[in-house]
Amino acid sequence: MGSFVKVLTWLIVSALLISGCADSYQWSKSHPDYHKAPYGDLAVAGVQDAFVLTRSAWFAKRLQVSTDSIQILGTQFCAQAMIKEMKGAYSNLIVLSENALADAPEESQKLDDRIFMKGKLPEQGVVVKDSAGNIPPQILLIHEVIVGTDLNRESFFDYAVMHNESPERTAAKNISAVVSYTLWDNEKQRPLFSAVDEIQRPVTVMTWEELDALVRQIVSEIRKNLYMGAK
Amino acid sequence: MKSIKSLILFLLVAIATTASAVYASDVYFESKWTLWKDPDILIWTVDKDLPIDPREFCLSLKRNNTAIGDPKCRTLGEWERDSIAVRYAGWLSNNMEPGLTSNYLKARHPSMRGKIQELEDRIVMFIADKGSNLQIAIFDETSSEPRTAGTVQKKADKIALGDEIASTFFDRKTSRRLSKEERQKKLTEPDDYYKEVPNLRAWGGISAGYAQAHVPVTPYSWVHRHVKSQVRNYRITRDSVSLWNFIDDSTPLFTLYAGAIWYGFIGGEIFYRYSNHTVKTDKSDSVYQELDHWEFGQHEIGLNLMLTKTYSPIKLLDIHLFGFIGFQYSFYAEDIQLKKGVELGSKAYRARIKFEDVYKGALFGGGSQFVFKDHYGVSLRTGIASRGKNIYSDPTPDAAAEPTTIGAMTVDWFISLGLEYHWNP
Repeated sequence: MGSFVKVLTWLIVSALLISGCADSYQWSKSHPDYHKAPYGDLAVAGVQDAFVLTRSAWFAKRLQVSTDSIQILGTQFCAQAMIKEMKGAYSNLIVLSENALADAPEESQKLDDRIFMKGKLPEQGVVVKDSAGNIPPQILLIHEVIVGTDLNRESFFDYAVMHNESPERTAAKNISAVVSYTLWDNEKQRPLFSAVDEIQRPVTVMTWEELDALVRQIVSEIRKNLYMGAK
Repeated sequence: MKSIKSLILFLLVAIATTASAVYASDVYFESKWTLWKDPDILIWTVDKDLPIDPREFCLSLKRNNTAIGDPKCRTLGEWERDSIAVRYAGWLSNNMEPGLTSNYLKARHPSMRGKIQELEDRIVMFIADKGSNLQIAIFDETSSEPRTAGTVQKKADKIALGDEIASTFFDRKTSRRLSKEERQKKLTEPDDYYKEVPNLRAWGGISAGYAQAHVPVTPYSWVHRHVKSQVRNYRITRDSVSLWNFIDDSTPLFTLYAGAIWYGFIGGEIFYRYSNHTVKTDKSDSVYQELDHWEFGQHEIGLNLMLTKTYSPIKLLDIHLFGFIGFQYSFYAEDIQLKKGVELGSKAYRARIKFEDVYKGALFGGGSQFVFKDHYGVSLRTGIASRGKNIYSDPTPDAAAEPTTIGAMTVDWFISLGLEYHWNP
């Protein structure tokens, strides 16, 4: 009898654990035909206007830039840093012009039950060409990079919590970035790998070098996930 | 003669099966779509020439599926000239691969999705030439994804090709096409399966069943001693831990009950159960020659806590699965009669075994209620019930000297089928 009660208790407890602690997210999605991560050859689009700086006053004060111009200076700096880092990572990197995707509609892609990422995707049946008229086989579409302090990707992408008010601002522990991107199969016009990544970087003194290091960390995170996502 | 006939039939079936295996068609996925009687089939291709003949294809459809009525087939010129549809067609033929589900082939362009939605009840069959075989995808107005897709082997003979397409993709049940008014009405019709969970669902019922000491799937040796035991001299058994040492355990069981469930989840049930048990007297004992009959009526009342989960597989039927755990009080009413002419029984008769006034026990189990049209229920339940002494009494200093309680560990298994009436008060 005692052992029966034990078994029953164990069953109830484990059922509660399974139902209670299952609150984890799926942050990426691979197409069944995504077998090989890009190596060497890659085109990238959207970097130029992907960056958004939150807490501009905080950044402006620490980077000693006026509050009016920090958004422009900061995002330009980040975009350049990202392209530079990617050029180092992919030997034949093609940077597509800013208006390569200008006409494409914004669409959402579902990653998890409550996680939807938004971004422009080229039309079905239409290939994207670079300035020389060539057709790059794969394009990394950077949809959005949110730069700030102590950001959580849930609060931007989980529709159940994204309207919650943020807590009182405390001293920043990390500078962070939330990046959403899609690896696009330009030949068959389909998303091969879509993901939202979160990058945290502990910071004591905020400098331009720190921001540059954050961007480099973003690129290495994207590269890692592109590699891990291939089946 | 009969065996020859069946052999021929078998051979025919075997040939037919092999022949269909030779057909090199491959369906990638298939979802439930409606094939209308007298359908409008629109053939959509972006290739230069159509591999099938629309008129011949219509005849193929009729040959293959007699239920299809009078199909009309034509090429879908308006999509063949539309640049967005052309782009999607190219994309579709590029992306259609085995292993991909329909949602990977969804039309994304709003204008393309609009076109598909405007099909009403016409069926679009997409055909793309891939050299040695043809890709086929079927669209209807209900989804911007293909409802089914696959390939068939390309053939120069247009009629044979049409036959193969018809048998692969159009060999299904048909439904009558709705008129404009009917379609309009259908759009505003409530969903058959929409049902609110009632705040309270109550029922009353009566059931008949069977109980026995041996619980199925447990070793018989657990109850063997009790079941085989017999009563000598009106009171003597090997032990008295279970009432089944004295009285017959396998009997019919009748139950009256009423219960209620709140919010389709938690509820309770009060019940009264009755069964009649004869005493297992040792026939070889001559003391029983005076005895006419000796039985105990078992009356039990109790209360169950229930947890349920409801499924509704068809519109008229709700299935409520439930588990229950509860307690009960058991009373044993003795019915003993000496033979006619015996005035005063033997000494052993007068000093015969007495059971406790009341036993307290627990029961647990599960079952299912099948409720038709929200009211008329049939229920099946099974479980294990126990009777014991009141364990909550404080031990007294002379507890050790007290005689042991007779039947303090009386357990049985029961199964019963009930008729119920349900209502939502």
